[in-house]
Amino acid sequence: MKTSIFTTSFQRGKPRLKAALVFGAIAFVIAFAAAVNTGIVGELLRPAMSEAVLVGLWGRFAVALVVGILCFGGCYGLLGLPHRVQSWSVWAGLALSALLLFYSFDLSYEFIERKLPFLLTQGAFTTIYVSAISIVLAFTFAMLGATAKLSGIAILEGVGAFYTSYFRGVPLLVQLFLIYLGLPQIGLVIDPVPAAIAALSLVYGAYMTEIFRSGIQSIPRGQWEAADALGLQRMVTFKKVILPQAMRVIVPPTGNQFISMLKDSSLVSVVGVWDIMFIARTQGRADFKILEMLITASIIYWLLSVVLEMVQHRIEAHYSKSVAR
Amino acid sequence: MTTMKVEHRDRPPGAAEAQQIAIQLVGVNKWFDDYHVLKDIDLSVYQGERIVICGPSGSGKSTLIRCINRLEEHQRGSIFVEGTELTSGLDNIHKVRSEVGMCFQHFNLFPHLTILENCTLAPMSVRSLSKQDAEQMAMRYLEKVKIPDQANKYPAQLSGGQQQRVAIARSLCMEPRIMLFDEPTSALDPEMIKEVLDTMVELADEGMTMLCVTHEMGFARRVADRVIFMDEGQIIEENAPAEFFDNPQNSRTRLFLSQVLGH
Amino acid sequence: MRSIIKKTLICAGLMAAAISTSSQAGKTLDAVLEDKMLVVGTNSDYRPNAFLGDRNELEGFDIDVSREVAKRLGVDVKFVTPGWEVMTAGRWQGRWHMVVGSMTPTTKRAEVLDFPATYYFIPAGVAVHKNSSAKSIADLNGKVFGVVSTSTYHRYLEHNLKIDAVGTPPFEYQIKPQEIRLYGDINEFDDLSLGEGVRLDAVIQSVSVINQAVSKGLPVKMLGDPVFYEPLAIAIDKGDAEFGEKVHAIIEDMKSDGTLVGLSRKWHGVDYVTVK
Ligand SMILES: Nc1ncnc2c1ncn2[C@@H]1O[C@H](COP(=O)(O)OP(=O)(O)OP(=O)(O)O)[C@@H](O)[C@H]1O
Ligand SMILES: [Mg+2]
Repeated sequence: MKTSIFTTSFQRGKPRLKAALVFGAIAFVIAFAAAVNTGIVGELLRPAMSEAVLVGLWGRFAVALVVGILCFGGCYGLLGLPHRVQSWSVWAGLALSALLLFYSFDLSYEFIERKLPFLLTQGAFTTIYVSAISIVLAFTFAMLGATAKLSGIAILEGVGAFYTSYFRGVPLLVQLFLIYLGLPQIGLVIDPVPAAIAALSLVYGAYMTEIFRSGIQSIPRGQWEAADALGLQRMVTFKKVILPQAMRVIVPPTGNQFISMLKDSSLVSVVGVWDIMFIARTQGRADFKILEMLITASIIYWLLSVVLEMVQHRIEAHYSKSVAR
Repeated sequence: MTTMKVEHRDRPPGAAEAQQIAIQLVGVNKWFDDYHVLKDIDLSVYQGERIVICGPSGSGKSTLIRCINRLEEHQRGSIFVEGTELTSGLDNIHKVRSEVGMCFQHFNLFPHLTILENCTLAPMSVRSLSKQDAEQMAMRYLEKVKIPDQANKYPAQLSGGQQQRVAIARSLCMEPRIMLFDEPTSALDPEMIKEVLDTMVELADEGMTMLCVTHEMGFARRVADRVIFMDEGQIIEENAPAEFFDNPQNSRTRLFLSQVLGH
Repeated sequence: MRSIIKKTLICAGLMAAAISTSSQAGKTLDAVLEDKMLVVGTNSDYRPNAFLGDRNELEGFDIDVSREVAKRLGVDVKFVTPGWEVMTAGRWQGRWHMVVGSMTPTTKRAEVLDFPATYYFIPAGVAVHKNSSAKSIADLNGKVFGVVSTSTYHRYLEHNLKIDAVGTPPFEYQIKPQEIRLYGDINEFDDLSLGEGVRLDAVIQSVSVINQAVSKGLPVKMLGDPVFYEPLAIAIDKGDAEFGEKVHAIIEDMKSDGTLVGLSRKWHGVDYVTVK
């Protein structure tokens, strides 16, 4: 069975026409409200209208109407395409518009080109390895945390409860400063990169402990009981029966956490780790071209998170093969 | 294995004096917090005996049989299974569980494993069988419950009746001497109930010791050596099926039977 | 219960005592000479003093000064960029030995850091949009100013700037801003470039940064004369007077033999070392 909110995918016949009309109408309303006749879109209609008409109420209506009709036509055409092609071309279209928007900022591409290699070799490299190590550690902490919280041993439960409560409750930035500046006070002088990795993995490990715990607890008692009745050891039950099922619930929010961690790794630039954000800020500020660097950085972060998204889909598919009928 | 010979006053009619006891409950009491679920339960089950337990909802039937493989812990009295007393010692619990198989109302198959993997997991992990041996045995029992052709499917791809038969096969793969059933057919559509009951009858005919909570009175009449009626945590009446159904002694039993059989 | 709390308090007290006694007395110089390595904390985005150049290495006035100090100590030099707040907070725990980061020795900072040597003076100026209507600094009273948070320019606008380095020229507060906007990661010049009064009317920064902005083609200009001169000093962690004296002596040598002036001319275009 298809489990989507609408029963039809509006790909042909009357529903297709209706859907396209709705999209067109929405575009018209937005265009009218935003008065696009005074912007770039208005410029395109310049040949058909005089300046005076264009800026008036009639011009506003006409331009919005054109936008609405264009949107209607585009949507009608798109809706006819096969499902996959449709969603991918819309994705690509939106990505292209975002890039075009950046392009319209009048940026110095020569500057970006000059700084990009270093942004990648130093910045992106640092971001990736800091995030990768943190992800592995966070996963380990979460596994340990969830195991402790569900161990049934009061001491471990106490440790787990304190861990999640403290590390979820204190902002990442504060945590980072505490580790970087605080630990040396007890004689443990650590470098910025290990401090950053420690902060990221401890904090995200705490969030993920809760994801793991709730995922594991979402598995019905009957599974534990059936395994008990078969005489399986509890650790075997956990590894072979409970965890694989819990993974299906755990993977999507964990993927989210990893993407979020990738971006939060930019916080480490405050203790002088030369990651993407640090290089972007430094280069941008020193040369008064911060926007160039921020946009470049945003695109690099985005591409990295797209990769993570794809990995997440892979893993999700792996763990849901038993429910796919 | 030490089996014990016990003198027992409530011995079922017709059972030989020297018959060996598989399960013995002596003065078993259980509480959920301050709710008294099982009250002074005394029960002996002989080897090869088939017992059906019935009674109104909430009377403690499930709790009783779940105590036998320690899915629930009793607080007073003692339970012996094949001579091993169930205490909090993990070794004893493991020993008992390796002798006792159990089937649940909702099958509780492992949904992420194929039918075959469901059946081989415990033999490989608990009994350290090789994968090959475990699979061979699993196929033998899947043939016995008549679904060898589904071995590589996942549980969700099977009907309820098929799933319950897989659950039975999965238990049998541990080669238990005792099988516990907790309402194995009450989650099934009527047309599937028969196939599961047939499998259980076959098991009974092979001499398996069985404790079965069920409201399938036809099954009880045909298979049971003894029917036990429970209410409010107590065993109210126990008798051979013919006596039990045709001539119930207790008024509560009569009321219950009239409700179960009356429609 | 009581006794548990009491025990915990005693433990905490002991730990605190252990921490406070573990400060290093006179060890920095030994560490530098032993490892043959001077670790210098500095900025990474502060043209022309310390910034990532086209070769993606740190360069600038502060960097060259550091190299020269290391050379005269007979050791190698390594740079770290721990961030301004971290450097000004003190208690470096030996992570780096000195900060050559164009830091002004304010009274507040002197509570947590030592400033053994002032190595140049920099004029602070007022920058406005190039189409600004302001003709003189007096026209900017009651306008919106942008400055780097907690900088000396910020203190100047608050009329709360206290510098007690020797030889600091006197100054007076010439401006009463209507609003002070504070900047950290974002460059205040970007906002000033948006146009007069869009976000800011004026910015106070060091004259050399203003000149950099102008030469990079930003639509800004400097207005009037510098409003004050601030001394910039090398900072070291509290507690190693010996190291301080050594650094002081080296800087004095570099002043008298003309090395510092040369470096200032190279990076700032003028002599910011000699007090006018
Ligand atoms: N884990 C538990 N915690 C607290 N009370 C419980 C628990 N399990 C069962 N009970 C209560 O104990 C009583 C007996 O439950 P039990 O499941 O043994 O009844 P049953 O005879 O099997 O009923 P049914 O025919 O509905 O399955 C019920 O009142 C039930 O609410
Ligand atoms: Mg029950």
